[in-house]
Amino acid sequence: MTKRLRLFQYAVLGFFALYALIPVYLVLLASVRSEADLFSGPLSLPWPIDLSTYKRVWFESGFQGYFINSLIISCSATFLVMLTAPLAGFAFAKLNFRYKELVFGLFLAGLVLPAPSVIVALYGNLNRLDLLDSHLGVILPQAALLLPFSIFMMRTVMEDVPSELIEAATVDGASIFKTYWLIVLPIVRPGLMSLALISFLFSWQEYLLPLVVIQDETLKPLTVGAAALQGRYGVDYAGIAAAGVIAFAPVVLLFLVMQRSFVRGLTAGAVK
Amino acid sequence: MQNGRTAFLFVAPALVLYAVFVGLPILQVFAYSFFTWDSGTIRGFGGLENYTRLVADGVFWTALSHNAIWVVLTLAFPLMAGLITASILAERSPRTVRLLSVLYFLPRTIPMVVVGIIWLWIYSPIFGLLNWFLDSVGLGNLGAAWLAEPNTALLSLNIAGAWTFFGFCNIIYLAAIQSIDPSLYEAASLDGATWWQKFRFVTTPLLRSTTLFLGLYAAIEAMRFFDLVYVTTSGGPGYSTEVLTTHIYKTFFLVGDFGYAAALSVVLLAIVLSISGISYRMLRKP
Amino acid sequence: MKRNRLLAIMTGTCALAALAATAAAETSVVQWDQFSSSGATSSGPAMEALIKVCEGELKDVKINRTVAPSIGIRDAYRLAVSADKTPDLAYTWPAASVLAGYARTNKIAPLDAYYDKYKWENVTPFYRGRNSYQGKIYAVPMEQDLMGVYYNRDLFKKLGLEVPTTYAGFKDVVEKLKAASVVPIAFGNKDRWPATNTMSLLMGLSTGRANEEKVFFGDEAWTNPGFKLAAETFQQWGKDGYFPRGFNGIGVDEANALFLGGKAAMNVGGSWFLQDMARNAKFDIGVFMLPPIGDGVAPGTMWGEGSQWQISASASDAVKDAAAAYVNCLTSPANRQTWVEKGYTVPIGTTAEDLAKWNTLPLVKEFFGQGLATADSNFYDLHTTLPESVTQVLYPELQKLVGGDATPDAFLATMQDAWKVAIDKGERWAP
Repeated sequence: MTKRLRLFQYAVLGFFALYALIPVYLVLLASVRSEADLFSGPLSLPWPIDLSTYKRVWFESGFQGYFINSLIISCSATFLVMLTAPLAGFAFAKLNFRYKELVFGLFLAGLVLPAPSVIVALYGNLNRLDLLDSHLGVILPQAALLLPFSIFMMRTVMEDVPSELIEAATVDGASIFKTYWLIVLPIVRPGLMSLALISFLFSWQEYLLPLVVIQDETLKPLTVGAAALQGRYGVDYAGIAAAGVIAFAPVVLLFLVMQRSFVRGLTAGAVK
Repeated sequence: MQNGRTAFLFVAPALVLYAVFVGLPILQVFAYSFFTWDSGTIRGFGGLENYTRLVADGVFWTALSHNAIWVVLTLAFPLMAGLITASILAERSPRTVRLLSVLYFLPRTIPMVVVGIIWLWIYSPIFGLLNWFLDSVGLGNLGAAWLAEPNTALLSLNIAGAWTFFGFCNIIYLAAIQSIDPSLYEAASLDGATWWQKFRFVTTPLLRSTTLFLGLYAAIEAMRFFDLVYVTTSGGPGYSTEVLTTHIYKTFFLVGDFGYAAALSVVLLAIVLSISGISYRMLRKP
Repeated sequence: MKRNRLLAIMTGTCALAALAATAAAETSVVQWDQFSSSGATSSGPAMEALIKVCEGELKDVKINRTVAPSIGIRDAYRLAVSADKTPDLAYTWPAASVLAGYARTNKIAPLDAYYDKYKWENVTPFYRGRNSYQGKIYAVPMEQDLMGVYYNRDLFKKLGLEVPTTYAGFKDVVEKLKAASVVPIAFGNKDRWPATNTMSLLMGLSTGRANEEKVFFGDEAWTNPGFKLAAETFQQWGKDGYFPRGFNGIGVDEANALFLGGKAAMNVGGSWFLQDMARNAKFDIGVFMLPPIGDGVAPGTMWGEGSQWQISASASDAVKDAAAAYVNCLTSPANRQTWVEKGYTVPIGTTAEDLAKWNTLPLVKEFFGQGLATADSNFYDLHTTLPESVTQVLYPELQKLVGGDATPDAFLATMQDAWKVAIDKGERWAP
């Protein structure tokens, strides 16, 4: 490898690193600076870091509540997905039944659904079920919308479990469910972890659904709260930046800590 | 081994949840499209009226063209970027690989709404960072109203969208490349191939199915994405960033013509499902 | 003994029945509005205060209030109606167009009987028309809004500029500002509705109210000379550097920030900005009315109403009566002062003299003093006058027109097409 080629490669890698990082850095910068020197002044982080905007946004603008709501909604939706998707994934991977591929196809079709198309019908249904303006009204549809990807992933992951293991267990007299619970699940635990993380991530990022379903200020998640800061007369760049950071910091941290698990989940099914 | 009833029990919980909150609304939307609506109320049976109206709707075709352009842009830029970075990274130390892959994927973890807010600020004509940066390196005359001019709006938005996508492509391609047999590269080296030639003649062909998968993923996302446009330009200026989902949203909420919005949705779904169907069949070829 | 016991039981039962009757006689009205309670000049606290006042006056009405979700009350109301969940009473916008849609589909109740009963004279014919459909009136507008030109008095003084009294004088001022490298007019149309407001102002000043009515309620087409003058003027403003660079990509907030930071000299805006302007300007701020543009057009300004109260058609008669009585209380002259002083809005019927007496900002008094002086020639707000389908065409077309991507003739032709389609579908309201 020539030195010139190597240099070129590093330049490419570096360029994309900057592309990825600079916008994030700028938001961080905006959130710790005062309005006045937002556009004048150097681009370095001031020291010591002034967290007063965060305090204001967290305590006075309601973001403490929004954070908790996001936590409740995402954890619950993830929990629901974990209850339902692995079961279905196992059935598609290891069991045989009539119309198996058809049902699988029906699930996959949900992957392509754009939110604005179904939101009106969903609203009417939620109203009839008396689920409007509640967390459950967001959790249930969200979990349902996560199912296509989750079941696809679970099927792929479970297909890798050696069928002999399952046959051996059933020959020994164990029910299919017991086999699933005691043998298969432990083997695919890494995959389950990945699924939980990815479901949590996607649920955390959801915007239109909670925007439409939740009316009560105290029930809103971070995405809705952060976007709402925008439309008021009078600009609060620092506040918007801080709100944005609060909205994405938790999942970024989660991703950094659990990267391997995330990556494994994302590549499952893609590299087949 | 046929396990009809057990299998049913395994699938049932997911199926019920899915049917109630996803399947049912889809069927409802499908039904809506055959009626004429006024201000959110059904007026009467319309048959295919909403669909024929679609054909003559200039905004629909404009929006569709923008979705198509978005697909092409996404395939050209973030997909290629992911492929190139993955190829380069594949030969580096695991630590470098991990560090950069994580870095590249970071934008994907940010909610689309916040992505929109960030890039709105970057592109802002008065207070924006892009123009400020161009000014400070002496290229001030290149500065423009990126999201405000019809020629640059869609492209500028796509750069924001690509920001969240290329890291994902990088990760997928990396995993795929790492499963390529190294002896193929050794053989090519022995034949005197340059890095670039290896990339073109060994790596790329072997990644065909991955590229197809990512291409399909990109195409589907390019048809159904909404949050980014909604938070930034709402389809403007004029119609230059109008996409199918924003057109659908406005028709549902602002105009109140549920029937026509439903017809648009059905057509959108049909388009995406056909793309998926075709790609799926291509993926299954050996 | 026994008789006493019987008497006691009877009295007790009667008392209980009376209590039950009173409890049953209390009617609950579900109210949706968008008055937020955050921010220094929010109207939420005034709304809450007035609810208590009116509940006290009406004794058997209980208001069950919800502040609209982030999606905005207009979209939320649309969803609610489609799900048969229409709130009993809502303070929503825009009037005319969307109102006509709900009236046509019998989702909101005609209020003619209540107008007869409570008189509501403050709602002049100018407003009534907009809130009617096919001869019946369906809403009660509450606030009045005007448009004007906010300006930086300090900057004007520094550059030796006078408030223009003619349109030629106005153009002169703009040229002088450009020469001094100051952005003449802060304007940001990313959100698309600001241009509609500016167009409302320019249209009325180019052609006058009478001609507007010929198009909006008559058979005249958009492609008339008066409208063309307005379109040409707006496009010329965009082309000749009246606005900041890239205005189609600038948000309302940023444009206001530009003005409030002293970088733009004027801000063509409405009285809905009054509190933000007055409180955040770091300079001496004033307002003047834009002079007429067309020949022979009388001075005037755009006169709109923000939102209006509407009552659900599916509510019971008792609830409707309660809601109407409550609205009557809210809009009564006695409570106007609360709206102005604590709610930072100016109710319909408030006069400049009233404002002069009350405790509100000088800028408010200045704005309404000038704007109400031309009440007879004030003209229409496009947002509340056009059918929604036409507004949705106006938004992008205006972006194109002012951005220089469409000629005035092409713009007017497109608008006329959309207008004609809406009329054929019966979407237009007529007073």
